[in-house]
Amino acid sequence: MQAFDDAGIRVYALSYDEQAALADFADAYNISYTFLSDSTSKVIRQFGILNTIIAEDDHPWFGIPYPGTYLLDAEGTITHKFFENNLAVRVGPEQLLRVFRGETFATQKHLPLDNVPTEVTATVFLDGEAMALSVQRELVAQLTVPLGSHVYASPAPEGIVAVDIEIDANPLLVLRDIVRPPSETHSLSGTAETFQVHHGQLALRLPVTINGMVTGAGNNNEIVIAGTVRWQSCDDEVCDLPGEYRFEIKVPVEAPVIPQIRVPDAERTIEPRAGEHFQHMVNRHKESL
Amino acid sequence: MKVEVETTARKTENGWADQDGFVGPFRPGNGPRNDPRGDFPTGPEVGEKMPNVQCRDSRGQTFDLHADRGNTPALFMFFRSAVW
Repeated sequence: MQAFDDAGIRVYALSYDEQAALADFADAYNISYTFLSDSTSKVIRQFGILNTIIAEDDHPWFGIPYPGTYLLDAEGTITHKFFENNLAVRVGPEQLLRVFRGETFATQKHLPLDNVPTEVTATVFLDGEAMALSVQRELVAQLTVPLGSHVYASPAPEGIVAVDIEIDANPLLVLRDIVRPPSETHSLSGTAETFQVHHGQLALRLPVTINGMVTGAGNNNEIVIAGTVRWQSCDDEVCDLPGEYRFEIKVPVEAPVIPQIRVPDAERTIEPRAGEHFQHMVNRHKESL
Repeated sequence: MKVEVETTARKTENGWADQDGFVGPFRPGNGPRNDPRGDFPTGPEVGEKMPNVQCRDSRGQTFDLHADRGNTPALFMFFRSAVW
């Protein structure tokens, strides 16, 4: 949250919960951004994002939205929005902040002349300190291509290896599609053939989330993400053999946040009182039918 | 718009794995684990002005999004529930 404050970004979160439930939740988890109560789902309906998979007469959870996040610029125009279909994953704060900073999801830049390697180099890192349940982070593969050479974008011509990240099979990880930088069209001199390629420095970003089998507690507090970055580089005359870079990154897994319980002599205990609020929600739903 | 619902799943040692590979205690398509598949409504589009939001905040104060925001960029989240 500090990072959003520092960047001068207001954060709002709206749900169909009652004010008291949100206030208890914010206190218990020590959350400073603004919670908004839409207990009749009026705003949710106004946005047209009421979850209609849930039958009105069926569940106290009728009234929730399809969850998502809008990013607004200073004028209040929507610049991006993020909606996920799976409740087990939400876009992470690093991804949101990068968009606010105006950085695109995938980058490619041309290098200054004095900083160019003689062969393709690759590094891999996680954009974020740790993995946490439901929070999507990105594994970044950064490649630097020598001047005058290119690597092939995906899909590559037949027989050529496109630049790619392959993760070793791991049931603890859920991967989404790789976000790739825009490619450039390259034509071989003297021929009419064209290929999609990348030059200079480029980054591939692989969205990755841990699934419910990783808890962050006990022995389950780190995860190894291993895999291979592949590419094939060519200049106008010679194609090198396909290159690869093996990586194995140990990433800590955050344990779920435990709400703070205030000392016994305080005016009231700080905890989310979820059971009580849920009962209220069930009654509210019955009365509304 | 008829939203398709995730119902395919396989039983694993630790619970039910949905088609993305996420594992949870409930079979998808049951109760809160009703994930939409394909197209589902996501509200106003990128490039449009954010509709104003008027409601109450968690302290019971009246709230007006564009008044509160002033000329500040903002992140506006719709989430499921703080209770369950």
